[in-house]
Amino acid sequence: MAEAAIRAGCRFYFGYPITPQNEVAEYMSEHMPEAGGTFIQAESEIASIYMVLGASVTGARAMTSSSSPGISLKQEGISFLAGQELPAVILNVMRGGPGLGNIAGCQGDYFQATRGGGHGDYKTIVLAPGSVQELVDLTGVAFELADKYRNPVMILADGLIGQMREPVVLPEPVKHLPEKDWALRGAKGRPSRFSRSLILNVRRMEEHNWKLQRKFREIEANEIRFEQYLLEDAKLVVVAFGSAARVAKGAVKRLRKEGLKVGLFRPITLWPFPHKKIRELANECSEFLVYELNAGQMLEDVKLALSGSAEVFFYGRPGGVIPTPMDVAKIIGSRYYQRIKRKAK
Amino acid sequence: MINLDLYAPLMLPKEELFTSGHRACQGCAEALAVRIVCKALGRNSIVAMATGCMEIVSSPLPTTAWQIPWIHVAFENAAAVASGVESGLKALMRKGRLPHKKITIAGMAGDGGTADIGLQALSGAMERGHDMIFVCYDNEAYMNTGIQRSSATPFGASTTTSPAGKVKAGQETWKKNMPEIMAAHGIPYVATACSAYPIDLYEKVKRAALVKGPAYVHCLSVCPTGWRIPSGDAIRYGRLAVETAAFPLYEVIDGKYQLTFDSPKLKPITDYFKGQGRFRHLTPEAVARIQERITRDYEKLRAKCENVNK
Ligand SMILES: Cc1ncc(C[n+]2csc(CCOP(=O)(O)OP(=O)(O)O)c2C)c(N)n1
Ligand code: SF4
Ligand SMILES: [Mg+2]
Repeated sequence: MAEAAIRAGCRFYFGYPITPQNEVAEYMSEHMPEAGGTFIQAESEIASIYMVLGASVTGARAMTSSSSPGISLKQEGISFLAGQELPAVILNVMRGGPGLGNIAGCQGDYFQATRGGGHGDYKTIVLAPGSVQELVDLTGVAFELADKYRNPVMILADGLIGQMREPVVLPEPVKHLPEKDWALRGAKGRPSRFSRSLILNVRRMEEHNWKLQRKFREIEANEIRFEQYLLEDAKLVVVAFGSAARVAKGAVKRLRKEGLKVGLFRPITLWPFPHKKIRELANECSEFLVYELNAGQMLEDVKLALSGSAEVFFYGRPGGVIPTPMDVAKIIGSRYYQRIKRKAK
Repeated sequence: MINLDLYAPLMLPKEELFTSGHRACQGCAEALAVRIVCKALGRNSIVAMATGCMEIVSSPLPTTAWQIPWIHVAFENAAAVASGVESGLKALMRKGRLPHKKITIAGMAGDGGTADIGLQALSGAMERGHDMIFVCYDNEAYMNTGIQRSSATPFGASTTTSPAGKVKAGQETWKKNMPEIMAAHGIPYVATACSAYPIDLYEKVKRAALVKGPAYVHCLSVCPTGWRIPSGDAIRYGRLAVETAAFPLYEVIDGKYQLTFDSPKLKPITDYFKGQGRFRHLTPEAVARIQERITRDYEKLRAKCENVNK
C-alpha cells in the first residue's frame, strides 16, 4: 500500500504508530525520503491528520494511516477536510473495538466510515479492498478520486488484510498530477485564495452545504464499484465486503462444488453504496445473507436497498474472531437448506 | 569492601503490588520500575495507566499483575483520567460519602504517552494542580507498537521510523526535556529516576506521594528489546546512562534543583553507547557531537543545582 501510494504521486505521509498498520509508517520512513518526499511521524493522530490538511492545501498528494482508535482522533480533521473540500487519503486498518479492543481483523468501523464519521453533513468516499492486490489498486484509485472530487477518501481495510503477505503487481508511477487552481501557494501576482470551512453568513453556509450535497450526489451517480461472483442462477446471495468477503468467497466456491446455487455480492465502494444493484438482484433472487465481522452494520444498507423486496438474514461475528470459510460455508449451507425446506412445504 | 548497595533493595517492602507472571520481555527494566514505584505508592493508591508495554503485559484477560486499583485508559489521557479520579474522590469525601483518608492517585504512561500524545492532558493536570503523581516510564521509544521513535528518543538512535541508512543516521532530533517542561509548570515536585537505582527511585516516589499537589517522576527504564542489548544488561546500561550524564538524576523541589547523583568525573558517552544496537551505526563525528551536547547540558544542570560545588 505504501509503495502504491508513492507510485500514485503521494509525497507526504504523516503517521503515528498503532498496530496493526505500523508497517506502512515504517516503509514510508525508509522510502519516502528516497522518493524525494516527506515522512513525518507526528506527536498524535490529531497532529498527523492536520499535517495532511496542511500539505493538501498546498496542492500536494498527502495521506495518513491508522487503526480504529487513531481514526476516531482523526475524525475532526476529516470533517475539516470535507468542509474545506480538500483531497486526502486515509487508510484505516480496522481492529476489534470499541475502546482499545484488540488488533485482530474486525469490521466494526463501517458506520463510522460510511456515515461521514465526524461532525457535520458530509460524506467520505470509502473503498474496501478484499485482498492485498486490491489494496494496492485501490490506493491509486483513492488518490484519483480524492483529487477529482476534492474530498477525503478512506480505504477501509482490517487487521487481516493489514497483516497479510501476498505477491502483488505494482502500478507504474503516475507521471502527471492534476492542476489545482485552488491550492494555496503564495499570492504573488494574483489575488489571494482562501481555504476555510467557517462560514458565518447563514445563506452562504447553506449554499456551501448544498454545493457539497450536489457533489455527493454526483459521486453516487458515478463512482459505485462492486464485484459479482457466481450470481447468475443464485438462489441465495451472500453480501460481504473486505476480508469477510474473501472468506465468504471461499465458502461460496466450496458450496458450489456441492451443487448449491449460492453467489456472492461484494460492495467495493461502501460509500457510495451499491443500493440500486442490490435492489436489482432482488428481481432474480429472494434471499440474502449478509456476513460481516461486526454485529450488523452494512446489514442496514442492504435492508435499505432491498426495502422489504427480499428476505435478509445476517451472520456476524463482532470484534476479533475470524471464522474460516468452512464455518461460513456451514452457515450459508444451513440457510440454503432451510429455504428449500420452506419451499417444499 | 562489601558492596552494601547490593543489600539495600532488601529494605524495600516485601509486598508485591505489581506481581510476577506478567508478560514483559526478559530483563525488562520498565517492569522493574513499575514494581518499585508500586511498592512506594503502597496499597492505598489508584493507578490510571495509558496504553503501552506495561499495560499490555500486565493485563491480558483474565489475568492481571495489579494488586492495587488500576484503570486502563486510552493512550492520550492518563493524566486526564487521574485528574477525574482525584476530583471524584475529593467530592465524595467532601460530601461525607467516603471517609477522609489519603489515597494516592497516580497517572502512568510511557514516553510516547507522556511526551507526545499525552502532553496536553498532562500539562492541563499539572496546571490545574490536582493532588496526584504522574510517572513517565521512559524507554526512549514506542516499544509496544514495535520500536518507533518518540520525542524522547535520543539523538542518533535507530528505530523503525527513524532508521539508520544511507540518507539518515537515525533520530535527527534531541531528546525532549520532559522534566524541565514539568518544572516550568511550577509544580511542587519533579524528579528524574532510573530503575537501575531502585532505592533512589523508591524514595523519590515516596516523596512525590507526600507532596500536596501535583508531582512528576520521569523514570528512565531500560528496554533490552528496543535498545538491542542482551537481556541481562538492563541494570548495567541504566547505570551507565546516569554515570555518563546521558540521563542525570536530580530533583526539583519547590523550584529548587538538586543533583541526586553527581560524579566527580563523568564516564565518556562511548561507554554507554558500546554494545547498544540502536547506536551501532554512529560515526565518531556523531558521537563527538553528542558528547559535546551532553557535557554542555550537564554543566547547565549543575549550574542550577544548589547542592554541588561550583
Ligand atoms: C490513540 C491511540 N494511538 C495509538 C495507539 C497505539 N499504541 C499503543 S501503545 C503505543 C506505544 C506506547 O509507547 P510508550 O508510551 O512509549 O510506551 P512503551 O510501550 O514504550 O512502554 C501506541 C502507539 C493507541 N492505542 N491509541
Ligand atoms: S519491549 Fe521493552 S519495555 Fe516493552 S516489555 Fe519488552 S523490554 Fe519491556
Ligand atoms: Mg516508550
